[in-house]
Amino acid sequence: MTEKSHDASRRAFLRHASALSVVGVGTPLAINLAAMGEACASTASDYKAIVCVFLNGGNDYANTLIPYDQTNYNAYNGYRPTIAIARSALTNTVLAPTMAPVDTAGFSRQFALAPTMDALLPLFNAGKMGVLLNVGNLIEPATKQQLAQGTVARPPTLFSHSDQTNQWQSLSADAFPSGWGGRIGDLFEAGNTSPLFTSVSVAGNALFATGKRIIQYQTSPADGASFGPVASPLRGSTKSSEAVVKMMSQASGHLMENDHIRVSKRMIDSNEAWIAALRTATEPTTPFPIGNSLGDQLKKVARIISCASALGAKRQIFYVGLGGFDTHGGVLSIHPGLVKKVADAIAAFYAATVELGVANQVTTFTASEFGRSLTSNGDGSDHGWGSMHFVLGGAVNGKKYYGTPPAVASNGPDDTGNSALIPTTSIDQYAATIGKWMGVSDSNLLSILPNLRNFNASTRNLGFI
Amino acid sequence: MGASRDEVDRLKTLGPVAWLDAQFAAPATMPRLTQMNTGLGNFDASVLFKAVTSPDTLRQRITLMLSEIFVVSVTALPSNNNGNHWGGVTYFDLLEANAFGNVRTLLREISTSSAMGYFLTFINKEKANPVTGSHPDENYARELMQLFTLGVVKLNQDGTPILNNGVVQDTYTQNDVENLARIFTGWIGDTRTLLPIVPGDFPLKHIQSRPMIQDPVKHETGASTFLGATVPAGLSGEAALDRALDIIFNHPNVAPFLSKQFIKKLVTSNPSPAYVGRVAAVFKNDGNGVAGNLTAIVKAILLDTEALQLPAGTAANTAGKLREPFLRLMAWARAASAYSSDGSWVMVGLGDAGGLGQVPGRATSVFNFFRPDYVPPNTGIANAGLVGPEFQMVNETSVINYYNTMDRIFSGGFPLRSDYTHFLPLAADAQKLVEEINTLMAAGQLRPETVTQIVDAIASMPPGPSEAPLRYRVYNAFTLVAMSPDFLIQK
Repeated sequence: MTEKSHDASRRAFLRHASALSVVGVGTPLAINLAAMGEACASTASDYKAIVCVFLNGGNDYANTLIPYDQTNYNAYNGYRPTIAIARSALTNTVLAPTMAPVDTAGFSRQFALAPTMDALLPLFNAGKMGVLLNVGNLIEPATKQQLAQGTVARPPTLFSHSDQTNQWQSLSADAFPSGWGGRIGDLFEAGNTSPLFTSVSVAGNALFATGKRIIQYQTSPADGASFGPVASPLRGSTKSSEAVVKMMSQASGHLMENDHIRVSKRMIDSNEAWIAALRTATEPTTPFPIGNSLGDQLKKVARIISCASALGAKRQIFYVGLGGFDTHGGVLSIHPGLVKKVADAIAAFYAATVELGVANQVTTFTASEFGRSLTSNGDGSDHGWGSMHFVLGGAVNGKKYYGTPPAVASNGPDDTGNSALIPTTSIDQYAATIGKWMGVSDSNLLSILPNLRNFNASTRNLGFI
Repeated sequence: MGASRDEVDRLKTLGPVAWLDAQFAAPATMPRLTQMNTGLGNFDASVLFKAVTSPDTLRQRITLMLSEIFVVSVTALPSNNNGNHWGGVTYFDLLEANAFGNVRTLLREISTSSAMGYFLTFINKEKANPVTGSHPDENYARELMQLFTLGVVKLNQDGTPILNNGVVQDTYTQNDVENLARIFTGWIGDTRTLLPIVPGDFPLKHIQSRPMIQDPVKHETGASTFLGATVPAGLSGEAALDRALDIIFNHPNVAPFLSKQFIKKLVTSNPSPAYVGRVAAVFKNDGNGVAGNLTAIVKAILLDTEALQLPAGTAANTAGKLREPFLRLMAWARAASAYSSDGSWVMVGLGDAGGLGQVPGRATSVFNFFRPDYVPPNTGIANAGLVGPEFQMVNETSVINYYNTMDRIFSGGFPLRSDYTHFLPLAADAQKLVEEINTLMAAGQLRPETVTQIVDAIASMPPGPSEAPLRYRVYNAFTLVAMSPDFLIQK
């Protein structure tokens, strides 16, 4: 560890320590914060990164992972005849796991990927991709009967895009919003030479990527330019450039001014270091899909990972996203193209991590605010709850399903009555499994994922990684 | 949208009340649809042209506000290759025509607008089909309640949530959404008569430039019960819509929910409950027993003490709002009498990630460029329990792009430009130049220290001998004002 990185670590630790006095000594949070500071600096010697791929709008799970065994395909086709994918179109993307998933009725099930997601098939077969069945936002385990009787807590404002996006990304009802990716980052910033680059969003402001201490560093697929006033005098006027920099970085007594200044100061302080590090990035020879904004973002992530050492990063959190998934219309005309973008982009990204020699150190996972209704509204589907997700990487125990296949039914045992799936796996368990791999201790997992304690300890690690 | 020297002088002469009345009475300019059908540019151009040049500046400002609450994004609408969004211009014309009208009328018009039908997917949708098991599309029903009228939690008249044992109360249930969705079936495009098509036109022009009409075969005629009220069975689709909108419009949430949204867009991100309450009272009754009178509501918002003067004490440090990027540009454009050098009024490059990131009518979703309840995480705003909607667009990259784009525009590197005829004569005197820009572009809100800082920088630049150095002074002065936190946060 260099002198400089040691200083940075110490500063981060001191900030943890000062958090104690803010929170008040003796509160459980304060104790956990202290424990975090101790734990992470010593454990993160290798490099690891997680990449959250957020599908904005609520992905139509039923046309992403399609029931393929004849019985359940028929049920699927029966509930959404106008938007079902023909079974004959699925033959090339049927998944052949090491063990078939069994539903609560005891039947072995088969699924196929959407035909346009064929780029993921080789990854699944090579054991680099796992599939999560019916995962979603829960406060505690909940059955249909319990929800109907009101004997379990029901997540508030289900089916609302903004609220469910926030809840998915936050997993905390804390009055001060933060995201669970960011809170994982909080634990590791002390081990990173530049804590600023611990959590990076390539898709704009994301709650997921901001912790209680760390703030997401936001970048775009294209490498940014130097900030003009820092690089050269503005039309020859040094004093003009100095005034710009000063106005953008000196603290203000006005709260909103100051929050804007914090962002611009962060940019001014870090932009040159960021650009310099990215100049050392490896340009992957792996082809990324053209005209695919998710591919553009993930290519940037691959390049950032390639210069992680120049950025002084041991643990990193990345956030990327793709919009358009709110398919109330166009499930057959729009959705196949969207999931193709996802599959092509994450397959290329995995290949790039292999090329960079970091495939085992990078885990990619999908997320979306909710699933959609199994039944159709003609040419679309409506807001749902539980959904199917994918996790990819060299460390993933792939070629497997995790979770329980839901009954293919409307108002059946596994849905709310409007064919929205009641999740049987919670995002907290999904997050805990990912966090555990990053090196978060069990006790810290309980502190950064407040609802995790509502799930049986033996089920908190889903084992997909 | 912004202030020119003439407009500032008019305001000084008339005073705020008479100036507002003059703005309410100002005639509307040519509708965007007429502009486009007579060949004056595409959707983006029509937006920029009106925003910069239309004398009815308040009507344009309210139109922009409405477009960010009752959101339609033309990115999801079909158009021809020239970006001629008939649906988009028709929708913006609709908002403009109702900007000083009535909210209930506005709701009726947006609910039957084909642009909205396309954007929130209910055009051509049918009642439940027992054979296929399909259900009515819930998209518009949900967002009409969540985003356009009620919000997700029950509100007091001052906009604070109603708490029951400390817990917020849902405004509506999934069952309410499903029932209201039945109203939004059977709405189809109007192709009863076809409009003349010229080469380059878009075939869907007939549908997109006219309201949707009802197809009784597709419409659900059974009773629909939601929000504790019932639209009876057997009504026509048109009559059922009016009954449904009456039920929603009479919900106690509408006045505080929309009043607070309007205040956030126009004045301050975190209005006091008392301010919201005063405006909500006018929303419910304009003094003549009419609810939803936008002229009265806008007047109440802009003439409220909380809008006219900063609150006393520390509250002043949280008052105001971040100017959204398009309004920052308009503050310059109106102050500097900007024009389109090639007459095209193109906005190419302004909206993309490398530009300002915002072109009206091109939000990425119905949640607008920024949500009214957005809390920037891990900030002073968040820790104070406040919101900062426009901060949703702010990040390390956006601040660089903002600087680059504005400086390039100010210095003539873009078709939208200014000759600075009003400012060049002041440019030799740095103090006068900066103070004039402060007045026109920043409503005089730069602190004395900021003015001094900018004046010092400009005064260090040569004042001649040719015109070019004077121009540089003007460019730099605008750029420095645009980058000052005093300007960025409107108070």
